Amino acid sequence: MLPVLLVAIVSILESCKTKELPLPIFGERKVVNGDTLFHRIAPFAFVDQDSAVVTNDTFRGKVYVADFFFTSCRTICPIMKTQMLRVYEATRDMPDVQIISHTIDPEYDTVALLRDFAKRLGVESGRWHFVTGVKDSIYKIAQTSYFATALEDKSEPDGFIHSGAFLLIDRQGRIRGKYDGTKEEEVNRLIVDIKKLRREGNP
Amino acid sequence: MLIIATAQVVYLQSCQTRDARFSQYYVQGQQLYVQYCSNCHQKDGTGLGLLYPPVSQSDFVDQRFNEVVCSMRNGLRGSIIVNGREYNQPMPGIPYLTDLEVAEISTYLYNTWGRKRGLVTVEEVQRVSAVCTP
Repeated sequence: MLPVLLVAIVSILESCKTKELPLPIFGERKVVNGDTLFHRIAPFAFVDQDSAVVTNDTFRGKVYVADFFFTSCRTICPIMKTQMLRVYEATRDMPDVQIISHTIDPEYDTVALLRDFAKRLGVESGRWHFVTGVKDSIYKIAQTSYFATALEDKSEPDGFIHSGAFLLIDRQGRIRGKYDGTKEEEVNRLIVDIKKLRREGNP
Repeated sequence: MLIIATAQVVYLQSCQTRDARFSQYYVQGQQLYVQYCSNCHQKDGTGLGLLYPPVSQSDFVDQRFNEVVCSMRNGLRGSIIVNGREYNQPMPGIPYLTDLEVAEISTYLYNTWGRKRGLVTVEEVQRVSAVCTP
Protein backbone atom coordinates (compact mmCIF):
# COMPACT_ATOMS: atom_id res chain seq x y z
CA MET A 1 0.00 0.00 0.00
CA LEU A 2 2.69 2.43 1.07
CA PRO A 3 4.88 2.03 -2.04
CA VAL A 4 1.85 2.54 -4.27
CA LEU A 5 1.00 5.73 -2.45
CA LEU A 6 4.58 6.91 -2.66
CA VAL A 7 4.72 6.27 -6.38
CA ALA A 8 1.47 8.15 -6.78
CA ILE A 9 2.80 11.12 -4.84
CA VAL A 10 6.09 11.11 -6.71
CA SER A 11 4.35 10.97 -10.06
CA ILE A 12 2.08 13.84 -9.08
CA LEU A 13 5.09 15.87 -8.04
CA GLU A 14 6.89 14.98 -11.26
CA SER A 15 3.97 16.05 -13.38
CA CYS A 16 3.95 19.40 -11.61
CA LYS A 17 7.63 19.84 -12.29
CA THR A 18 7.65 19.04 -15.97
CA LYS A 19 4.38 20.63 -16.98
CA GLU A 20 4.99 24.35 -17.27
CA LEU A 21 1.99 26.46 -18.14
CA PRO A 22 2.68 28.53 -21.24
CA LEU A 23 2.48 32.31 -20.92
CA PRO A 24 -0.81 33.81 -22.12
CA ILE A 25 -1.10 35.48 -25.53
CA PHE A 26 -2.55 38.99 -25.24
CA GLY A 27 -4.96 40.75 -27.57
CA GLU A 28 -7.68 39.82 -30.01
CA ARG A 29 -7.54 36.62 -31.95
CA LYS A 30 -9.28 35.57 -35.15
CA VAL A 31 -9.82 32.14 -36.59
CA VAL A 32 -9.26 32.00 -40.33
CA ASN A 33 -9.60 28.66 -42.15
CA GLY A 34 -9.10 26.83 -38.89
CA ASP A 35 -5.91 28.77 -38.04
CA THR A 36 -5.86 31.10 -35.06
CA LEU A 37 -4.41 34.52 -35.87
CA PHE A 38 -3.08 36.40 -32.86
CA HIS A 39 -2.53 40.07 -32.25
CA ARG A 40 0.98 41.06 -33.34
CA ILE A 41 3.05 44.23 -33.07
CA ALA A 42 2.41 46.27 -36.23
CA PRO A 43 5.31 47.17 -38.57
CA PHE A 44 7.47 50.00 -37.22
CA ALA A 45 10.71 51.82 -37.97
CA PHE A 46 12.50 53.97 -35.40
CA VAL A 47 16.08 55.17 -34.89
CA ASP A 48 18.16 54.19 -31.86
CA GLN A 49 20.97 55.83 -29.88
CA ASP A 50 23.55 54.56 -32.37
CA SER A 51 21.59 56.04 -35.31
CA ALA A 52 20.67 52.51 -36.40
CA VAL A 53 17.22 51.87 -37.81
CA VAL A 54 15.23 49.55 -35.55
CA THR A 55 12.33 47.62 -37.09
CA ASN A 56 10.41 44.44 -36.39
CA ASP A 57 13.26 42.64 -38.20
CA THR A 58 15.68 43.77 -35.49
CA PHE A 59 13.82 41.47 -33.10
CA ARG A 60 13.20 38.59 -35.51
CA GLY A 61 13.76 35.32 -33.68
CA LYS A 62 14.34 37.22 -30.43
CA VAL A 63 12.42 37.83 -27.26
CA TYR A 64 12.16 41.49 -26.32
CA VAL A 65 10.85 43.87 -23.69
CA ALA A 66 9.30 47.24 -24.63
CA ASP A 67 8.51 50.37 -22.66
CA PHE A 68 7.75 54.09 -23.13
CA PHE A 69 9.52 56.93 -21.33
CA PHE A 70 11.28 60.27 -21.84
CA THR A 71 14.60 61.47 -20.49
CA SER A 72 13.34 64.61 -18.73
CA CYS A 73 10.57 62.75 -16.91
CA ARG A 74 10.81 63.07 -13.16
CA THR A 75 7.88 60.94 -12.06
CA ILE A 76 7.91 57.24 -12.84
CA CYS A 77 10.64 57.04 -15.50
CA PRO A 78 13.66 57.01 -13.18
CA ILE A 79 12.14 54.03 -11.36
CA MET A 80 11.29 52.36 -14.66
CA LYS A 81 14.87 52.80 -15.84
CA THR A 82 16.21 51.45 -12.53
CA GLN A 83 14.01 48.39 -12.99
CA MET A 84 14.77 47.99 -16.71
CA LEU A 85 18.45 48.10 -15.83
CA ARG A 86 17.79 45.06 -13.64
CA VAL A 87 16.23 43.30 -16.63
CA TYR A 88 19.21 44.29 -18.78
CA GLU A 89 21.65 42.95 -16.21
CA ALA A 90 19.69 39.75 -15.58
CA THR A 91 19.76 39.00 -19.32
CA ARG A 92 23.40 39.99 -19.81
CA ASP A 93 24.35 36.59 -21.23
CA MET A 94 21.31 36.22 -23.45
CA PRO A 95 22.00 37.70 -26.90
CA ASP A 96 18.51 36.64 -27.98
CA VAL A 97 16.88 38.92 -25.39
CA GLN A 98 16.65 42.61 -26.28
CA ILE A 99 15.04 45.77 -24.94
CA ILE A 100 13.41 48.73 -26.70
CA SER A 101 12.66 51.96 -24.84
CA HIS A 102 10.65 54.44 -26.91
CA THR A 103 10.81 58.11 -26.07
CA ILE A 104 7.40 59.77 -26.13
CA ASP A 105 9.07 63.19 -26.33
CA PRO A 106 10.96 62.84 -29.65
CA GLU A 107 11.24 66.61 -30.13
CA TYR A 108 13.46 66.90 -27.06
CA ASP A 109 14.95 63.39 -26.99
CA THR A 110 17.18 63.44 -30.04
CA VAL A 111 19.49 60.60 -31.05
CA ALA A 112 22.44 62.45 -29.48
CA LEU A 113 20.56 62.93 -26.22
CA LEU A 114 19.47 59.31 -26.12
CA ARG A 115 23.06 58.22 -26.77
CA ASP A 116 24.24 60.29 -23.81
CA PHE A 117 21.40 58.97 -21.66
CA ALA A 118 22.21 55.32 -22.50
CA LYS A 119 25.90 55.85 -21.83
CA ARG A 120 25.24 57.50 -18.49
CA LEU A 121 22.94 54.65 -17.55
CA GLY A 122 25.82 52.29 -18.25
CA VAL A 123 24.28 50.63 -21.31
CA GLU A 124 26.98 49.74 -23.78
CA SER A 125 25.78 46.71 -25.68
CA GLY A 126 23.47 46.88 -28.65
CA ARG A 127 20.86 44.80 -26.82
CA TRP A 128 19.06 47.85 -25.40
CA HIS A 129 17.70 50.26 -28.01
CA PHE A 130 16.62 53.77 -26.97
CA VAL A 131 14.54 54.87 -29.93
CA THR A 132 13.05 58.05 -31.25
CA GLY A 133 10.96 58.69 -34.35
CA VAL A 134 7.85 60.37 -35.67
CA LYS A 135 5.77 61.32 -32.66
CA ASP A 136 2.46 60.09 -34.07
CA SER A 137 4.00 56.73 -35.02
CA ILE A 138 5.30 56.27 -31.47
CA TYR A 139 1.93 57.13 -29.91
CA LYS A 140 0.09 54.92 -32.36
CA ILE A 141 2.27 51.87 -31.82
CA ALA A 142 2.01 52.41 -28.06
CA GLN A 143 -1.78 52.53 -28.10
CA THR A 144 -2.69 50.03 -30.77
CA SER A 145 0.14 47.50 -30.73
CA TYR A 146 1.43 47.46 -27.14
CA PHE A 147 -1.79 48.62 -25.42
CA ALA A 148 0.31 51.08 -23.41
CA THR A 149 -0.85 54.63 -22.79
CA ALA A 150 1.36 57.37 -24.21
CA LEU A 151 -0.14 60.78 -24.86
CA GLU A 152 0.81 64.41 -24.75
CA ASP A 153 -1.12 66.25 -22.05
CA LYS A 154 -0.19 69.81 -21.19
CA SER A 155 -2.07 69.64 -17.90
CA GLU A 156 0.23 66.92 -16.56
CA PRO A 157 3.28 68.04 -14.52
CA ASP A 158 5.70 66.79 -17.17
CA GLY A 159 3.44 67.36 -20.17
CA PHE A 160 2.72 63.69 -20.89
CA ILE A 161 0.64 60.86 -19.57
CA HIS A 162 2.03 57.41 -19.98
CA SER A 163 1.88 54.05 -18.32
CA GLY A 164 4.84 52.46 -16.61
CA ALA A 165 4.19 49.14 -18.31
CA PHE A 166 6.87 46.74 -19.51
CA LEU A 167 5.63 44.49 -22.33
CA LEU A 168 7.14 41.10 -23.05
CA ILE A 169 7.09 40.19 -26.75
CA ASP A 170 7.79 36.73 -28.14
CA ARG A 171 9.69 35.66 -31.25
CA GLN A 172 6.55 36.02 -33.35
CA GLY A 173 5.80 39.57 -32.27
CA ARG A 174 3.03 38.60 -29.87
CA ILE A 175 2.53 40.14 -26.41
CA ARG A 176 3.08 37.49 -23.76
CA GLY A 177 3.20 39.55 -20.59
CA LYS A 178 2.47 42.96 -19.15
CA TYR A 179 4.21 44.17 -15.97
CA ASP A 180 4.26 47.33 -13.88
CA GLY A 181 7.76 48.64 -14.50
CA THR A 182 7.71 50.67 -11.29
CA LYS A 183 7.32 47.61 -9.05
CA GLU A 184 10.26 45.41 -8.16
CA GLU A 185 8.15 42.25 -7.63
CA GLU A 186 6.47 42.63 -11.02
CA VAL A 187 9.84 42.99 -12.68
CA ASN A 188 11.05 39.87 -10.86
CA ARG A 189 8.14 38.06 -12.47
CA LEU A 190 9.12 39.49 -15.87
CA ILE A 191 12.67 38.15 -15.49
CA VAL A 192 11.28 34.68 -14.71
CA ASP A 193 8.88 34.91 -17.68
CA ILE A 194 11.69 35.90 -20.07
CA LYS A 195 13.48 32.66 -19.21
CA LYS A 196 10.25 30.74 -19.62
CA LEU A 197 9.63 32.30 -23.03
CA ARG A 198 13.16 31.46 -24.21
CA ARG A 199 12.45 27.80 -23.41
CA GLU A 200 9.47 27.79 -25.76
CA GLY A 201 11.91 27.39 -28.65
CA ASN A 202 11.70 28.73 -32.14
CA PRO A 203 8.42 28.46 -34.03
CA MET B 1 10.03 72.17 46.59
CA LEU B 2 7.56 73.23 44.00
CA ILE B 3 10.22 75.36 42.36
CA ILE B 4 12.58 72.42 42.07
CA ALA B 5 9.83 70.28 40.57
CA THR B 6 8.96 73.00 38.08
CA ALA B 7 12.59 73.49 37.16
CA GLN B 8 12.97 69.78 36.69
CA VAL B 9 9.94 69.60 34.43
CA VAL B 10 11.20 72.52 32.37
CA TYR B 11 14.64 70.94 32.15
CA LEU B 12 13.26 67.57 31.12
CA GLN B 13 10.95 69.13 28.59
CA SER B 14 13.65 71.15 26.88
CA CYS B 15 15.81 68.07 26.64
CA GLN B 16 13.02 65.91 25.44
CA THR B 17 11.85 68.56 23.03
CA ARG B 18 15.14 68.58 21.16
CA ASP B 19 15.36 64.77 21.07
CA ALA B 20 11.71 64.31 20.27
CA ARG B 21 11.93 66.97 17.59
CA PHE B 22 14.95 65.28 16.06
CA SER B 23 13.15 61.91 15.87
CA GLN B 24 10.05 63.57 14.51
CA TYR B 25 11.97 65.43 11.80
CA TYR B 26 14.05 62.37 11.01
CA VAL B 27 11.08 60.02 10.58
CA GLN B 28 9.10 62.58 8.62
CA GLY B 29 12.19 63.42 6.56
CA GLN B 30 12.68 59.80 5.66
CA GLN B 31 9.13 59.58 4.34
CA LEU B 32 9.55 62.78 2.33
CA TYR B 33 12.87 61.52 0.97
CA VAL B 34 11.21 58.33 -0.24
CA GLN B 35 8.34 60.32 -1.75
CA TYR B 36 10.28 63.09 -3.49
CA CYS B 37 13.92 62.08 -3.85
CA SER B 38 14.23 58.30 -4.03
CA ASN B 39 12.77 58.10 -7.55
CA CYS B 40 16.10 59.27 -8.88
CA HIS B 41 18.56 59.06 -5.99
CA GLN B 42 17.19 55.63 -4.91
CA LYS B 43 16.00 54.60 -1.47
CA ASP B 44 19.52 53.63 -0.46
CA GLY B 45 20.92 56.92 -1.77
CA THR B 46 23.22 55.34 -4.35
CA GLY B 47 21.83 57.17 -7.39
CA LEU B 48 21.68 55.67 -10.88
CA GLY B 49 24.71 55.35 -13.15
CA LEU B 50 26.00 58.74 -14.26
CA LEU B 51 22.44 60.05 -14.61
CA TYR B 52 21.49 60.68 -10.99
CA PRO B 53 24.31 61.25 -8.51
CA PRO B 54 24.51 59.41 -5.19
CA VAL B 55 23.50 61.26 -2.03
CA SER B 56 24.69 58.56 0.38
CA GLN B 57 28.46 58.52 -0.17
CA SER B 58 28.76 61.96 -1.72
CA ASP B 59 31.39 64.67 -1.23
CA PHE B 60 28.92 67.12 -2.75
CA VAL B 61 26.32 66.48 -0.03
CA ASP B 62 29.02 66.41 2.66
CA GLN B 63 30.58 69.72 1.70
CA ARG B 64 27.84 71.82 0.12
CA PHE B 65 25.06 71.98 2.69
CA ASN B 66 23.68 75.32 1.50
CA GLU B 67 23.49 74.28 -2.15
CA VAL B 68 21.85 70.99 -1.23
CA VAL B 69 19.21 72.73 0.90
CA CYS B 70 18.55 75.25 -1.87
CA SER B 71 18.34 72.55 -4.57
CA MET B 72 15.34 70.88 -2.91
CA ARG B 73 13.07 73.78 -3.86
CA ASN B 74 15.01 75.45 -6.66
CA GLY B 75 16.41 72.44 -8.47
CA LEU B 76 19.86 72.26 -10.04
CA ARG B 77 20.98 72.87 -13.61
CA GLY B 78 24.23 72.36 -15.41
CA SER B 79 27.15 70.09 -14.78
CA ILE B 80 28.23 69.13 -11.26
CA ILE B 81 31.09 66.96 -10.02
CA VAL B 82 30.26 64.34 -7.40
CA ASN B 83 33.03 62.08 -6.11
CA GLY B 84 35.13 63.11 -9.10
CA ARG B 85 32.51 62.16 -11.67
CA GLU B 86 30.54 64.54 -13.83
CA TYR B 87 26.72 64.58 -13.78
CA ASN B 88 24.56 66.74 -16.01
CA GLN B 89 20.91 65.79 -15.71
CA PRO B 90 18.74 68.76 -14.69
CA MET B 91 17.22 68.27 -11.23
CA PRO B 92 13.71 69.67 -11.02
CA GLY B 93 13.01 71.53 -7.80
CA ILE B 94 9.89 71.03 -5.72
CA PRO B 95 8.89 74.67 -5.14
CA TYR B 96 5.96 73.89 -2.87
CA LEU B 97 8.02 72.21 -0.14
CA THR B 98 7.62 74.17 3.12
CA ASP B 99 10.53 75.30 5.30
CA LEU B 100 9.57 72.56 7.72
CA GLU B 101 9.63 69.88 5.01
CA VAL B 102 13.04 71.03 3.77
CA ALA B 103 14.28 70.93 7.38
CA GLU B 104 12.92 67.42 7.78
CA ILE B 105 14.49 66.12 4.56
CA SER B 106 17.77 67.80 5.50
CA THR B 107 17.66 66.29 8.99
CA TYR B 108 17.22 62.87 7.40
CA LEU B 109 19.91 63.40 4.74
CA TYR B 110 22.47 64.80 7.17
CA ASN B 111 22.00 62.09 9.79
CA THR B 112 21.97 59.03 7.56
CA TRP B 113 24.69 57.17 5.63
CA GLY B 114 27.35 57.97 8.19
CA ARG B 115 26.47 61.64 8.70
CA LYS B 116 25.82 63.02 12.19
CA ARG B 117 25.04 66.68 11.76
CA GLY B 118 22.10 66.62 14.19
CA LEU B 119 18.82 68.45 13.85
CA VAL B 120 18.46 70.86 10.94
CA THR B 121 16.02 73.48 12.18
CA VAL B 122 13.42 75.50 10.30
CA GLU B 123 15.34 78.67 11.23
CA GLU B 124 18.48 77.27 9.63
CA VAL B 125 16.60 76.44 6.44
CA GLN B 126 15.16 79.96 6.36
CA ARG B 127 18.60 81.48 6.85
CA VAL B 128 20.08 79.42 4.02
CA SER B 129 17.10 79.92 1.70
CA ALA B 130 17.34 83.69 2.02
CA VAL B 131 20.64 83.60 0.13
CA CYS B 132 19.97 80.86 -2.45
CA THR B 133 21.10 81.71 -5.93
CA PRO B 134 18.08 81.06 -8.11
